[in-house]
Amino acid sequence: MADSHYSLIIVGGGLSGLAAGIRFARFGESVLILEKHAIPGGLNSYYYRKNFLLETGLHAMTNYAAPKERQAPLNRLFRQLNLSRKQFNTHEQFSSRILFKDQLSLDFSNDISLLRENISAIFPHSIDSFDALLKFVQEYDPFTPREWISTRQTLNDYLKDPVLINMILLPLMVYGNSEEHDMDLGQFVIMFRSIFMEGFFRPDDTIKEFLDLLIDKFKSLGGEIRYKHGVSSFIQDGDAIKGVMLDNNKELYCDAIISTIGSPGTEKLLVGSPQSKHPVGQMSFVESIYILPHECKKTIVNDQTIIFYSLADDFDYCRPKHPIDSQWGVICFPENFKGLPPADHFQIRTTHAANYDLWKNVSRQEYKQMKGKYAQESRGVIEEIIGNFYQNVVYEDSFTPVTIEKFTGKECGAVYGSPLKVKDGRTAFNNLFVAGTDQGYLGIIGSMLSGVTVVNQHILSAG
Amino acid sequence: MTRDEIKDVVLEIIADIDEDAEMEGLNPDEPLRDQLDLDSMDFLDIVMELRKRYKLQIPEEDYPELATLTSCVNYLEPKLQNL
Repeated sequence: MADSHYSLIIVGGGLSGLAAGIRFARFGESVLILEKHAIPGGLNSYYYRKNFLLETGLHAMTNYAAPKERQAPLNRLFRQLNLSRKQFNTHEQFSSRILFKDQLSLDFSNDISLLRENISAIFPHSIDSFDALLKFVQEYDPFTPREWISTRQTLNDYLKDPVLINMILLPLMVYGNSEEHDMDLGQFVIMFRSIFMEGFFRPDDTIKEFLDLLIDKFKSLGGEIRYKHGVSSFIQDGDAIKGVMLDNNKELYCDAIISTIGSPGTEKLLVGSPQSKHPVGQMSFVESIYILPHECKKTIVNDQTIIFYSLADDFDYCRPKHPIDSQWGVICFPENFKGLPPADHFQIRTTHAANYDLWKNVSRQEYKQMKGKYAQESRGVIEEIIGNFYQNVVYEDSFTPVTIEKFTGKECGAVYGSPLKVKDGRTAFNNLFVAGTDQGYLGIIGSMLSGVTVVNQHILSAG
Repeated sequence: MTRDEIKDVVLEIIADIDEDAEMEGLNPDEPLRDQLDLDSMDFLDIVMELRKRYKLQIPEEDYPELATLTSCVNYLEPKLQNL
């Protein structure tokens, strides 16, 4: 059956899967993306409520680079996918703030010198060691496979000041760390570069238009995508995978397969698979979205794009003992980027660490009550920081680790995947590879580069 | 294909890979990488595009043959003569 055999099948139509698909469709033969849901995007998708298009994951894209910086990850990615960077309009952040204990603050922008100046003013004894850290980050190769190295230990050696260390770690951890408490040094370097050295931006439109651009490209190169097609198992043949069994019991065959659904999820598709080698991540989050009339913007925010706060002068990045931890979190203003065309509405998005088990193991009614209760607790803290806004809210929604698991397939709502990363994308099967978050690349640009890299190294090079 | 046709194909492939490539004033005997700021990933895309279009397998040891526009044409001419 010719129509049931593909050169490459990609499980998951999120950003890494779409990027892998485009890359392969460009130079390879037939390629099929299987997406469980009715729309693409995975973690970074969208939904509609009351005529509002709401994004699921996107606060900002990281890895900003001007078009002329040819070797920057963003621009390399566009060339690899044969997309025009010139036609992709970007809007940089104004600046973002790391706020500790309501009084200590560090501002940073896409120009590292702002962070440097702030550190110099607030932690004058640490500026030389921060410069040494910067040099270290620039020279370190985070992509060479090596043993786990403690970021906290490394930062203790460089910066010494525990408050400064926590302030620097907060944005990097909350936007991409799958481990609790500490972080692998390679991941730290990747995150430090993508957030502090390259920085935040948004495209002209929402994630929907970005996904449309990718889908159009994929299809124009001959790629095929099927929605509402979940995979129930892999069809194994010795140490190779022959194909996939779909949820509807149909079988599809392929020469190679890329799974973007995470290592734990991938292991589950293997029949009679040995005990899982890849622990499920513990870190998940609740997110609230508030929509206000546009005129409220000026009373709430000036030129801050994102605020990372902690009410204490330290913070412990871990699964909280309570349903949420409102002691630290993120407040994002997705409309507040330079030169974004004014929207009718103004959004505030807030993020806190959350405990998956405590949201999962309750009745439907308790779950609803918890949502209300903890949204209120969160608001109390957020309004202390940015002032009262709730009286003007025209629409609000929130999602929990359970929502994330349901719609993204990320087990336990672990948005950043398993703490154990597979840097080379290989598995125990010679034609099965993993791409995406569990390869250790992070963020939208990172996960897309992951898809491209796996195709380049393992699929196209073999032909 | 004639030498001129091969040259046009190579330039067309490069233009598709890099929207910023400035073809005017390109010295055919100077390395393409230096003149167009191509990196190794871009370079591989040229090889893969040739593979896709003409089913040409270019082994890695032959990559230096593709260094300049003239050397590209010299290398590809016998391989594409029957097209």
